[in-house]
Amino acid sequence: MQRAVSSLSFSPSVKVKLVSAGFQFTSDLLHLEPLQLSKEAGLSQQEALEVLQTVTRAGEGVSASLTALELLQKEEETRSIVTFSSQLDAALGGGFPIGKITEICGVPGVGKTQLCLQLAVDVQVPQCFGGVGGQVMYIDTEGSFLLERVIDMATAAVRHCSLLVEDDEQRVAMTTFTVETILSDIFLVRCNDYMELLAELHLLPDFLLNHPRVRLLVIDSVAFPFRQFDDLSQRTRLLQGLAQQLVAMAYRHHVAVVITNHMTTRLQGSQSQLVPALGENWGHAPTTRLLLQWAGSQRLAAILKSPGHVDTTIQYQISSDGFRDADQSELPQNKRPRTHANQSAASQPDS
Amino acid sequence: MVVLREGMCPGLDEGLVRDLRAADIKTVEDLVSSDIEELAQKCSVSYKALFAIRRVLLAQHTAFPVSGADLYEELLSSTAILSTGNPSLDKLLDSGLYTGEITELSGGPGSGKSQVCFGVAVHISYQLKQSVIYIDTTGGLTARRLLQMLQTETSNTEEQMEALQRIHIFRLFDIFSLLDCLYSLCSGGLQQASVGGGSAKAVIVDSVSAVISPLLGSKQNEGMSLMIQVAGILKTLAKDFNAAVLVTNHVTRSGSGEVQPGLGVSWSHIPRTRVLLERAEKATAVSRSSVRSATLIKSSRQPCHIKEEFDLQWWSRSQVEPSGKRKLDETDS
Repeated sequence: MQRAVSSLSFSPSVKVKLVSAGFQFTSDLLHLEPLQLSKEAGLSQQEALEVLQTVTRAGEGVSASLTALELLQKEEETRSIVTFSSQLDAALGGGFPIGKITEICGVPGVGKTQLCLQLAVDVQVPQCFGGVGGQVMYIDTEGSFLLERVIDMATAAVRHCSLLVEDDEQRVAMTTFTVETILSDIFLVRCNDYMELLAELHLLPDFLLNHPRVRLLVIDSVAFPFRQFDDLSQRTRLLQGLAQQLVAMAYRHHVAVVITNHMTTRLQGSQSQLVPALGENWGHAPTTRLLLQWAGSQRLAAILKSPGHVDTTIQYQISSDGFRDADQSELPQNKRPRTHANQSAASQPDS
Repeated sequence: MVVLREGMCPGLDEGLVRDLRAADIKTVEDLVSSDIEELAQKCSVSYKALFAIRRVLLAQHTAFPVSGADLYEELLSSTAILSTGNPSLDKLLDSGLYTGEITELSGGPGSGKSQVCFGVAVHISYQLKQSVIYIDTTGGLTARRLLQMLQTETSNTEEQMEALQRIHIFRLFDIFSLLDCLYSLCSGGLQQASVGGGSAKAVIVDSVSAVISPLLGSKQNEGMSLMIQVAGILKTLAKDFNAAVLVTNHVTRSGSGEVQPGLGVSWSHIPRTRVLLERAEKATAVSRSSVRSATLIKSSRQPCHIKEEFDLQWWSRSQVEPSGKRKLDETDS
């Protein structure tokens, strides 16, 4: 099968020059010298060299594949980021997955940012306590990063872990797991508009290379910079590109990507319904979609989309310590729906 | 078209190639479409020699007709119908995925596209014992879910592991690496990937729109060209290597609010069969049910717009299957 030159990643001008010089397939280029090519196609020598290098690389064959079994082993080795809400962890199969994108959407005030802050603290829980002991990159586009809340949550997390100490390893780990270290392992970036956000995401792979301990990337929120946009088709395109960047980053650098999204109203005939913002196409970007919502005075978290879990709804609360399970003893009347949700989760073996 | 080179055919020597170049004839295409008589004068070669060269080149670069009877023979011997493992979907697809064809699943987020892909991959690798190539461009693939599906099929761990080993995963997040991968599959990777003879029978791309749509709609039409390249290579994979190709696509809403598959009209000619997946009830995005409806929107075998409902839980059902259906699948393959 001959491969067309236009299917390689050259700049359009190089492609045009190659094609007009008669080089339509990579096989035409294989046995050429850079000098000869630059003369025949009117390319600079540097360009000609790059073209030939790409062609040989493309001809070399199969990119790395792995079998599902190898992938399974990798997944078993990877820990998820726990949330301190056992029900949410159970529903997500152990917490927020590393290497995937999870979107949290919900109406204002329902606790999206609180959950993000909680995760920023939780990702740092040392490995001997069942955490991942990582650092966090926090991109704040709304200016909603609240340091006081992080300190509250960090204090609670440190207190919680210190109560669990059983052996020497954990005692040693506790000496470096303090509110100060938690704060110093949060890298905060404030992006004011979508240009800054896009630029930051372009620079991020380098940052992640230099900081291999980063295990969590939070974007709170991805919706805000893109809500005011005149050219909708450009917005869709930018968002699609951003989604692919995030997927690649999550996979290559082994970080969990957590983004938040707003809700918007969609009119369908005379009916209106609340749906996640940024349009339907964006919905494909996150691997898992978590919807936080109010039901009366209770807060509910529902899995809207996930390739690995059944759709479940769980109840949570936001206490001064952070994101926690709803207190069961105080709300006995809600027991029924919750156990139901638990059962359906339990019916999935190994979820 | 191919660049003219000495030794390509008898009579085309170095001197002639140089002369032709001087007359601005660089490729086979140029030579074939030029006026031979004029060219013979320009390059001072005999008309007869040029004419002979042209005939040989045409013969080398043409496609050959195949008789319908031969084709039918070949079809009978090589085409397989790979069951998706789900009776309702099989019914919709006229008993399954056909090798040599591209089948498309489209649907909004959470409509079950990936789940169907997982189910198909597991079914083909476990029940039909064939290798599967799974190209994941969205990071949505979880091996745990594959294992979960396998566990409903068999409780034998060894068989589960074997089936998992027959699924080959590529994770590619941009169009150029997708093209690289597809081309290398074409040039032998497909055979390499399979274990124990024969080549992989199914290629799944989930999702094709994720890598293509960021390129579409800008002022340059490069995206369109790349999309057609992907389409072409997928067709080659399907036809020449007799693989069933399953791709997923997102959906867009037309002006009247109707749901239709994404990637526009040009893409709509590519898949032979298109299926639209939706959540069964028209209710809110908040509703949670695992029932999905599948509508056939393009097919060359079945009447269009037939609709089937199926349950995503099917793939995680408990072991209750009668053995009759299994037998049917095996004869199909």
